[in-house]
Amino acid sequence: MPRLWFDKGTLLFNGVIATPYGKYDPRSGYYRLKASHYKDATDYLKESRIRFEDNVPNLPPLEQLKSKVELRAYQNKALDNWRHAGNRGVLVLPTAAGKTFIALKAIDLLRTQTLIIVPTLDLIDQWRKRVRECLGVETGVVGGGENTVRMVTVSTYDSAYSQAPQLGNQFMFLVFDEVHHLASPGYMQIGEMYIAPYRMGLTATYERSDQRHSLLPLLVGEPVYSIDVEQLTGKHLAPYTYEKISVELTPEEQRTYDEAMNTFKNYLRQRRIVLKSAADFQRFIMTTGRDPAAREALLARNKALRVAVNSEAKLDLLGEKLEEYKNEKILIFTLYNDLVYAISRRFLIPAVTYQTPREERREIMANFGNGRYKVIVTSQVLDEGVDVPDASVGLVLGGTGSTREYVQRLGRLLRKKEDKTAKLVEIISKETMEVGISRRRRTKTGGTNAASE
Amino acid sequence: MVWRRKGEILPRFAKLSAENLEAANTLIEAYKTHIGEKKKVLKAKVTDLENKGFEYRFVRGLALLLDRRGTFTCNSKINPVDLRRKIFQATENYGLPTSSEKRRKILAGAASETTLTTENIEEYLYADLDDELILEKFDPPSASELLQQYNLSLTQTLLFDSTELSFTASGNWQRLFYFIKKLGLIYEAYQDNGFWVKIDGPASLFKLTRRYGISIAKLLPTIVANPEWSVNAKVLWRYTNEVCNLKIESRRQGALLKKPSLPLVTYDSAAEQNFASQFQALKSEWTLKREPEPLKAGKHVIIPDFSLERSGVKVYLEIVGFWTEEYLQRKAEKLRQVNAKMLLLVDEALACEKLAKLEKPRQLDLIYYQNTIPLAPILRYLKSAFQEVKAQEIKILESLPIKFTEPVVDYDEFAARIGMSTEAVKAVIATNPPTGYVALPNFLVSKEKLTKIDTQIEERLRQSGKLSLTEATRILETEGISDASGALTTLGYKITWHGISSEQAEVSKTTK
Repeated sequence: MPRLWFDKGTLLFNGVIATPYGKYDPRSGYYRLKASHYKDATDYLKESRIRFEDNVPNLPPLEQLKSKVELRAYQNKALDNWRHAGNRGVLVLPTAAGKTFIALKAIDLLRTQTLIIVPTLDLIDQWRKRVRECLGVETGVVGGGENTVRMVTVSTYDSAYSQAPQLGNQFMFLVFDEVHHLASPGYMQIGEMYIAPYRMGLTATYERSDQRHSLLPLLVGEPVYSIDVEQLTGKHLAPYTYEKISVELTPEEQRTYDEAMNTFKNYLRQRRIVLKSAADFQRFIMTTGRDPAAREALLARNKALRVAVNSEAKLDLLGEKLEEYKNEKILIFTLYNDLVYAISRRFLIPAVTYQTPREERREIMANFGNGRYKVIVTSQVLDEGVDVPDASVGLVLGGTGSTREYVQRLGRLLRKKEDKTAKLVEIISKETMEVGISRRRRTKTGGTNAASE
Repeated sequence: MVWRRKGEILPRFAKLSAENLEAANTLIEAYKTHIGEKKKVLKAKVTDLENKGFEYRFVRGLALLLDRRGTFTCNSKINPVDLRRKIFQATENYGLPTSSEKRRKILAGAASETTLTTENIEEYLYADLDDELILEKFDPPSASELLQQYNLSLTQTLLFDSTELSFTASGNWQRLFYFIKKLGLIYEAYQDNGFWVKIDGPASLFKLTRRYGISIAKLLPTIVANPEWSVNAKVLWRYTNEVCNLKIESRRQGALLKKPSLPLVTYDSAAEQNFASQFQALKSEWTLKREPEPLKAGKHVIIPDFSLERSGVKVYLEIVGFWTEEYLQRKAEKLRQVNAKMLLLVDEALACEKLAKLEKPRQLDLIYYQNTIPLAPILRYLKSAFQEVKAQEIKILESLPIKFTEPVVDYDEFAARIGMSTEAVKAVIATNPPTGYVALPNFLVSKEKLTKIDTQIEERLRQSGKLSLTEATRILETEGISDASGALTTLGYKITWHGISSEQAEVSKTTK
């Protein structure tokens, strides 16, 4: 009898019949299929009354779930839409709109082997906790040194990609947290190397600047539900105010800044280079590999940027702001790790960067959650989806100028809490390039704007 | 770091030039003198060198390799994580230090609870950050070793973006196929001026993918560990998304790449080793080779333990370890697809099944033995294999309508050209030479040519009445015949030796 089996992220079929999804593989002498076509192919064979032996799935045992998930009206609507789309599709909801709960409810309804795929190790911890609370089972974990598979398993995109040849036939349902990551050239193969017919994508920012989100319908399903910040503000999310403060560089900093910027601008002028788009800049970066003058110009620009970001005056102002909001829970963001540690040392407050040991990071976040720590400073690790419990003030020093990053960072402050008005304060250097970056970042952002310039 | 033109791509290899060796040495020295220093001090030194005329990416690449040879440790009397917890807690208790006075007080308070000074606290607070670690030990490479390692890493980095790789190598096949399998890759073997293997992965069938690039790159050290190798890879250049060819080979780049030290000839068992040394001692006409080129068996590849070769006839030997009857049957199935003679040596003591009588699987040449591999039956097998091949070849040759146009045919050269043994060629052609030809011991010569030579020699003899062997040889060689004495005898001349020098040997006509 013909046999269908799983081979390192693909399927092999040893029948003489070509299935519509298979391709003859001269290397093995069998028909080979993408794992994602598992359901289509088996449906086709069954409908065609072709008897075959299905050796594909290798599923972990089912466990008894105890559901404690109650959804809000809009969450129920999102889930219904997804169910009607054949248990496939992407849900677009702002940060803090409870995406996790919708996915947990879906797991509860399907009661099948599920892999939850997340971008960071922090998110693994968070999902693990939520699954334990809401479904009453322990999760398997693949990634960060762990490798256990259970009915509900959480993994990073990295591990889900690299281990697809082993994991691809162990789940029937995939949940992609921050699904926009899936569209990247490498990760998109996760969509192809798993047999799971049921798929759910979650994100606050569906669109990617490289347009690759157009690949998502094929990998996860169409966007089936979308709601934006304005529709939820005041109802489920806390409103926030935005304030921007410019400070002048110290005279010495200004001198260093001007000098470095002149080196950079002179180079551009001499070579008649105009930097307007991200692509222009990418091209410029490429030339620095060949052209020592270009490299010198780039180093000068980075130096100027660093002076502007790390300005002493900003740290003084930061001190004042910390004094002003001293009874609130404050998150300080900055782009540079050096600055994170400078702030941590100066104000003796906990810092979280990619270098922070995982245990310590967990402890710091827990202490910030329960109020033992009222201020923490961080670079970019908290960027996506990590719960930072009810911080009410965000202080931003520097950033990379990407729209998504800004939205996500704002989202961190938008945890629903009684009578809370979140504040976002951005501290920038006056008359520097940074003004430009900050303006670019502000586009496409919702929320009430109470800028005081 | 990459050279690219017209679809070809190559890493910019660092030549082992005086200038590059100096750069490598300068860096190695820098690491040596920075033992006991913080990583950030070392980094600053490296940056300093980057700005001193050497190509900065080259310097950075070398430094990265040297980092891996260093041991960096955290220098603190207290676990920095515990210290930070203490300090942050103190901050929460006393309030944020928005003045330097307040900050000093918090630190002093914390210090008083420990044996540390406030300076200690400042120093240890973040002593576990990467930049603050101390270079404790450093294992210096030689400058050329560092450059070779750099070139290898550079090539591997480029291969991360490869979609497939083809290679051939002079050995290490067992190890190579073991890795190919372990890395989840798929191979296809083919002949193209030698045995080549193309590798990619399962999903490569659907589209070009970099997915297997990392695994492919991991295979490279085992390939280049061989004295001879050749690699052709397809690299998906990430900036333009075009497929480029990467072609490197031992002849050109061998000396630039680091060869990992692998044990060269390893014997799987004492049985193999004993057999090899005993067979060598026989000094038979058969040439023994350990781990010869693999054989293609349908979709599979067989790597025999030994090959034995005698004038174009090749026989393979495999010493079977633990076995079952089913194993031998499967082996027979595989061998049926191989166009070669293969002998299996099976130790009866290693049978995994108790069989009253061992049935010999059909179409399988095998010799059962106990304890030591017996040479006599192997030699018998070789002899019959040789005869068999020779007989087959003779049959083929006899059925071939062979016509020669050239006046002189060298049997060895002709046998090699048609892929048969010299013995078979001699057996057919020399015993029954084609019309117009005369068979000499090692050549076939046209009668026309022979007459021409004969005339020349006679002419000489008539003129000077005497001809030395040296002169006769010269005449024959000009006509393309190297075996002078054989030719002369056939033409009816005799050679009279007056000493050991051919100058003094005389050629004269045999009087009938």
